Amino acid sequence: MINDFHYLKPASLKEALAMYAEHDDCKVICGGQSLLIVMRQGMVAPEYLLDIKHVKELSYIKFDEKDGLRIGATTTHREIEKSDIIAKKYPVLVAMEEKLASIQTRNWGTIGGNLAHADPAGDPGPVLIALNAEIKFGNSGGEKVVPLDEFFVDYFETQMEHGDLVLEVHVPTPEPKFGCAYQKFNLLDSDMGIVAAAASVTLNADGTCKDARIVLGNAGPIPLRVTKAEDLLKGKKLDDALFAQAGTIASEECAPVADIHASEEHRRHVLGVLTKRMLKKAFEQAQKSA
Amino acid sequence: MSHAKYSVINTPVHNIDGVAKVTGRATYTFDVTLPGMLYGKILRSPHPHAKILNIDATRALELPGVKAVVTGKDTLGIKQGIWRRYEELCDEQILPLEKVRYIGEPVAAVAAVTEEIAEAALDLIDVDYEVLPAVFEPLEAIKKEAPTIHEGVERNVNVTRHIEWGDVDEAFEEADYIREDWFKCSGQHHMCMETRAAVSSFTPDGKLTVWTSTQSAYYHQALLAGVFGLRDGDVRVLAPYVGGGFGGKFEIDSAQFCSGVLSMKLHKPVKIVLTREEDFIASKRRTPMFYYVRTGIKKDGTFCARESRMFSNGGAYTGMGATALYLSGFFHSFPYKWRGYRYDGYRVYTNTMPSTSMRGFGAPQAMFCSEQQIDWICADLGLDPFEVRRKNGHTEGYEVPGQAFIASCGLEQCINEIEKWVKSKGKLPANRGIGISSCGFMSGGIFNWFDSPYSFSSAVVTINFDGTVELHVGCQDIGQGSNTTMAIIAAETLGVKIEDIKVHSGDTDHCPADLGAWGSRQTLMAGNAVKMACEDAKKQLLEFAYAEMGINIVYDLDIKDRWVHIVARPERGLPYGDLVKKALRGKDGQRIVGRGYYTPHRKGMISPAYSYMMQAVDAEIDPETGKIKIYEVMTAHDCGQPINPLGLIGQLEGAASMALGYAYLEDMPFEDGKMMNPNLVDYKVIKAPEMPKTDIIEIDTYEPEGPYGAKEAGEGLTNPTAAALGNAVFNAMGIQMKELPITPERILKALREKKEQEAQK
Repeated sequence: MINDFHYLKPASLKEALAMYAEHDDCKVICGGQSLLIVMRQGMVAPEYLLDIKHVKELSYIKFDEKDGLRIGATTTHREIEKSDIIAKKYPVLVAMEEKLASIQTRNWGTIGGNLAHADPAGDPGPVLIALNAEIKFGNSGGEKVVPLDEFFVDYFETQMEHGDLVLEVHVPTPEPKFGCAYQKFNLLDSDMGIVAAAASVTLNADGTCKDARIVLGNAGPIPLRVTKAEDLLKGKKLDDALFAQAGTIASEECAPVADIHASEEHRRHVLGVLTKRMLKKAFEQAQKSA
Repeated sequence: MSHAKYSVINTPVHNIDGVAKVTGRATYTFDVTLPGMLYGKILRSPHPHAKILNIDATRALELPGVKAVVTGKDTLGIKQGIWRRYEELCDEQILPLEKVRYIGEPVAAVAAVTEEIAEAALDLIDVDYEVLPAVFEPLEAIKKEAPTIHEGVERNVNVTRHIEWGDVDEAFEEADYIREDWFKCSGQHHMCMETRAAVSSFTPDGKLTVWTSTQSAYYHQALLAGVFGLRDGDVRVLAPYVGGGFGGKFEIDSAQFCSGVLSMKLHKPVKIVLTREEDFIASKRRTPMFYYVRTGIKKDGTFCARESRMFSNGGAYTGMGATALYLSGFFHSFPYKWRGYRYDGYRVYTNTMPSTSMRGFGAPQAMFCSEQQIDWICADLGLDPFEVRRKNGHTEGYEVPGQAFIASCGLEQCINEIEKWVKSKGKLPANRGIGISSCGFMSGGIFNWFDSPYSFSSAVVTINFDGTVELHVGCQDIGQGSNTTMAIIAAETLGVKIEDIKVHSGDTDHCPADLGAWGSRQTLMAGNAVKMACEDAKKQLLEFAYAEMGINIVYDLDIKDRWVHIVARPERGLPYGDLVKKALRGKDGQRIVGRGYYTPHRKGMISPAYSYMMQAVDAEIDPETGKIKIYEVMTAHDCGQPINPLGLIGQLEGAASMALGYAYLEDMPFEDGKMMNPNLVDYKVIKAPEMPKTDIIEIDTYEPEGPYGAKEAGEGLTNPTAAALGNAVFNAMGIQMKELPITPERILKALREKKEQEAQK
């Protein structure tokens, strides 16, 4: 049963940050798609709930060819899914959102809430890291921007401290020869991933690999970059054998934990397969692009 | 073949209570609030097996707002069960006096002024347990050295069941080929939208009224009267709307029992609604089964004999599990003719939540084993699976020796239709396969282990002055649409429109007794009772019509679409409404009342009629990850005369979602007796967007025992799916899936083993 709590509803970002600074035992809610589950289970029982759902200044999608994409923290999953500019410039984000839980969840859940919750099985984290995104967060004292792959610290833990709110996600404009793909492995398409893999590939003009990012979902305490597998690819002319090899390395490099849904062995195996497949898909996109 | 053109039957209609449900007006037990009502919560055992040494509720009773705490000592201590004729199978005290036998078993219950206070009070009840050794698997529990779960029950064997016909050993000797396999079938949660719930109100006049979520208001009236030492007639059970049952809601549950005990102690209404987690860990489940199957067949595909042994995980108590044990063994022979058949079933107690009936009633497990093994045998011998099924399948007029008589059977047409459909798909891409499975199911059980003194089904129909009709039935609408089915049958029989019929059900004070919604019995049994009641009322009306119209007695009169007429000259007649008004005057103002009932006689051991079907599942396997993608589920189905085609589609879709869930998704893993996924994040059910395409081909048959030729259509459709998916995997990848659910990991393991075997060759 959910405990009783005081409900705080700030009208502006400034007020939200002030209220958060003022109340110690306070949790931020912005849709509640994750928070309410743990509150119902009694795992989290805050005295105050700070509802920033109505802080409209944080709800936006902006794109500029030079600056890239900026998504405000209280933008819903559904808004990202239905954004024409994102569909055009970052189709992988739309494909990811289309399989993120149910329409009800996407209508109500927000990108900032999802990232702040820091569930390693979350879908946006791996994709955004593969897209080289950075995240802006801050408190009444100031703001900070960090690469998203440094943002996550541990299971359900980020660099943010008490008083910090997620403010914005920034995704740079993709380089000319760039591709990015994401897939989760589950039994039901819209379910949480048992494991997942995102991969991005940037090619040089000569077709060799300039950069590759491989980020695994639910393969460890945080969205996990498998850098050994990435390093294998850089500077090389990519082919199926390399993708398979990268998959094998990724399956060794990750640290998934067994539960009733799959053994550790099966998770590693599938992570390897997904890595291989997503690299190939990203590579093919990169070849076609620009 | 259908006998006639009907005016109402076979026309698709929405459920008569659909608008009330989708607009939130329907009153479920959860919505019932009474003056002075208290809220109850149940303390449950954290141990799978432990003696209760002492329960001290002092601290809980000191909490402001707490009105009472009850334990086994506040009850009559009656060991109850639904198999009332058999004392040894009545083995469950819902608040046990001496020991707990599974995690989640009720130990005490609290009533308080709010639900929150009641819940807080649970933490203040001190229970001293002496933890006992526990056993969780039937093949362990049956061993000599296993702990005793019920005193005096040797090797924890709860019930055994032997079914045999023909000379089995001789029939095996005639076989050219014999195959043996072991299978493991999992449990499954009923997953009703509405969790178990009850509001009990005991009043100083000694009467108990219970609003509850039930599949049989009559069963609960009788069972609750039994455990509380009341007369049946002093207990009123109300169940106007029920949010699903699927076989899990006709035994007494902890919400009903504990709210009753608390209300009788306090003389106040007490409401208990189980949480989703409680529903998961402490209701009951589909019976997990281990099957050993040995089948003998001739080279030409003729079935000779089958011999099977089954060990089921009974959990802590008997419940409906004894019936599942029998039906699983019976339907394991279906739908084929065996010269010799032998089944030995052993239901074994374990320290897990009890297992019970669930949609399909033991048949989905039995078919998973049987229908896959038949395909494997066909592959071993190079036989055609369609041809083999046709050759050995039941036919009209067949008698399952000593068990059942098959009066109508569309199996062969089902096989032909699915064969056509599969062949129309042509050659499939790699890693994709279509699997088939055929089966049959009962239309209501004949057995009376409940020892009901009443007819199995009854109906009373009353015709008002304005022609509207009050139909009182005991059958229970649990979302499957039985009230709509009964309204259709009544409208057809009386010759009026569906909107003329008001159906009254789910109230033991006002509706006649009926065994309720289980075993696919209501369309046939309650449908026959409704038809008989309406024929009775119609006959009374027509007596007046003969007098009114002054016609020759050799003419037949009938009513259709509210028009009373001569059958041979339909234009000659009078409006139904006018006739009713006249008839009432002639009866000194009494309303026309018709009565009907149904109790099966001379219909074998199991059921008066059997549905038949064949299903095909089209699926693709990812050979690297083991993930299954299901494209389509196609069913050819003989349910006799469909009553409401739209209701039938609803049943098919519901069954497909439940049965596919059973086949590849839903599982109830336990660790040391504790269920590991008692929530909807970790317990996977198919959601609407993920449902594959399902379609149905209806086979036209007529069942002489059914009302207007109808048979069951809701439950049997759960039976073929797991086997059909298994066969699809077999056809796609050449691997044999012997364990449910069919998970990616199990698929990959089977693929690895296949590779190793091929390498050895």
